Amino acid sequence: MSREAPGRLRLVVLAFPAQVEADALAQRLSRRLALPCQLDRRAAPPELATLPGRPQWDARALLDWLAAQAGERELVLGLTGWDIGLPIFSHVFGLAQDGGQAAVVSLARLDPAFDGLPPDVERWLGRTVGVALHELGHLGGLRHCLQPECLMRFAGTVEKADARGQAFCPTCHDALPHWLRPVGLAAL
Amino acid sequence: MSATTNVPPPSEAPSGPPPLRLLVVDDEAIVRESLGSWFRQDGHQVDVAENAREALHLAARGPHDIAFLDIKMPGMDGLDLQARLQASDPHLTIIIMTAYASVDSAVRAMKAGAYDYLVKPFDPDELSVLVERAREHRSLRDENLRLKASLDALGAPPPLVGSSAAMRHVLDMIASVAVSDATVLVTGESGTGKELVARAIHAASSRRYNPLVVVNCGALPEGILESELFGHEAGAFTGARGRHKGKFEAAEGGTVFLDEIGDVSLHVQVELLRVLEDKLVTRLGGSQPVRVDFRVVAATNKDLREEVKAGRFREDLYWRLNVFNIELPPLRERPEDVALLAEHFLKRFAEAMSRRPLKLAADALQALQAYSWPGNVRELQNAIERGVVVAQGGVLRTSDLPLTVTTGPARPAQGSLADMEKVHIQGVLEAQGWNITRAARVLDVDRVTLYNKIRKYGLQRPDEP
Repeated sequence: MSREAPGRLRLVVLAFPAQVEADALAQRLSRRLALPCQLDRRAAPPELATLPGRPQWDARALLDWLAAQAGERELVLGLTGWDIGLPIFSHVFGLAQDGGQAAVVSLARLDPAFDGLPPDVERWLGRTVGVALHELGHLGGLRHCLQPECLMRFAGTVEKADARGQAFCPTCHDALPHWLRPVGLAAL
Repeated sequence: MSATTNVPPPSEAPSGPPPLRLLVVDDEAIVRESLGSWFRQDGHQVDVAENAREALHLAARGPHDIAFLDIKMPGMDGLDLQARLQASDPHLTIIIMTAYASVDSAVRAMKAGAYDYLVKPFDPDELSVLVERAREHRSLRDENLRLKASLDALGAPPPLVGSSAAMRHVLDMIASVAVSDATVLVTGESGTGKELVARAIHAASSRRYNPLVVVNCGALPEGILESELFGHEAGAFTGARGRHKGKFEAAEGGTVFLDEIGDVSLHVQVELLRVLEDKLVTRLGGSQPVRVDFRVVAATNKDLREEVKAGRFREDLYWRLNVFNIELPPLRERPEDVALLAEHFLKRFAEAMSRRPLKLAADALQALQAYSWPGNVRELQNAIERGVVVAQGGVLRTSDLPLTVTTGPARPAQGSLADMEKVHIQGVLEAQGWNITRAARVLDVDRVTLYNKIRKYGLQRPDEP
């Protein structure tokens, strides 16, 4: 990827859950970015395979497909209701190319109902925004952080994702690229 | 979570534990890439290898903290690779990655020393927790090694000083027997350092991080000794208010030093024999024997064979104790060690009394070497300690030594007649405060003859340069 600053973020929506409004998610996300965001609703690409014996998309293959969609000076964030995993990992909430152009977030396990809890769309949306910002942080070159309440802390469970909050710690904040610094409501 | 295809610009890492150096070995590229990327996002340094050959090559370039090994790989499998890596780096933490179908292999790997295993596909949180647990484990182990090294330094017994052939032989025997669990009987005159031998054996044995319990059998009446050795239950005898663990139980995993074993009554000898044979201790007033793991070093200044002949010591206990015998030579039989010991004690007491380093005057050394030391090393130690207390300036002189040393029985002749004459004249001069007239009178020679002898042997007053 070129180190040139990105000019926009394309939100590629695939197999999105009916309970969540993609527009609402895009709006929330855009409030945290200094990039214009664009929603791009797609049908699932036919070449995208599930992992052998598992009802999950291969997150790596999905990421490669998203990266192939990225235009010049464009970041692509896939948002999907499908569960995603890797051959080595039973699941992932999200995946990103470090310093690259593409990232993906699965909403499947972020849904409180996935763990048998009552439906809570607000919490679901909040978790999704948090994971999306975490993956965008990787696109911006950040690594995992050890601060307990930093968005860049690795969270392997929804409980840990909830616990890390919605903000970057001062050290990570200072390392954020300008487009990941909130500047108020950005135009879609 | 992410996959890496580009080298990320490093973000400033917040303070935290230092990064680990990791090795990932798997024949599947997707596994290597996924794990490599995942670990790099945590700030760790990652080496990846496709097979065992590559892994060994990477391991030879520098140590890793943790290695993640796939069990099933073409060529050398993960178990064989584990053995090779552990052989070259015993401190390497190994985590096995396996498919569900080969969990049996993972269990074998654990038995062979792997830290843990992960069944593919694994929960990323499980991996995260495992890495942190392995880090803590390594940290604790390193701390443990550092503490043991400190303990080794702090707990080292006072050295058995001596360069004589007799002492070298003793030191060789200590080194030989320490690595075994054999019972040792240390014999020798009073003051020869029998307890030091016991401490040296314990310190050089694998029991050194467990207690060394010293029991002076000769100092305690029979009833008390029994209670001290074996413990007692509440109400076992008048005054036994609570349960009390004995010395054998207190020494669990360590060593019991039974000093003055020759003074133990026949009744206690019977009990001791039983404990030594069965390693089972029954507290006084108790009925349930307790299994205890201990090693025994016993010591005596008596000739136990004579005690056996006289019926004062049980022959079966004698043989049970005398599995390995270390006989300490009396100091008079190793006069060449006197100077070394004197210098050792001089340094030790000067430091303990916060005095500047002291020198031993030549005539004082001659006096020490001439003396017969019936109290052996302990007497020499006491003499030097006294000398350090009273010495003026930076020299310990003959006059600073106890009179028992300077005027006491001389060591039986070991040198020439001239040597003996020199030592004798020196001793008399010291005893008479270098008053020539009085010394000549004691020696029954005239003053001129004494002056001639002083010149001949190069004798000097302690305060002369």
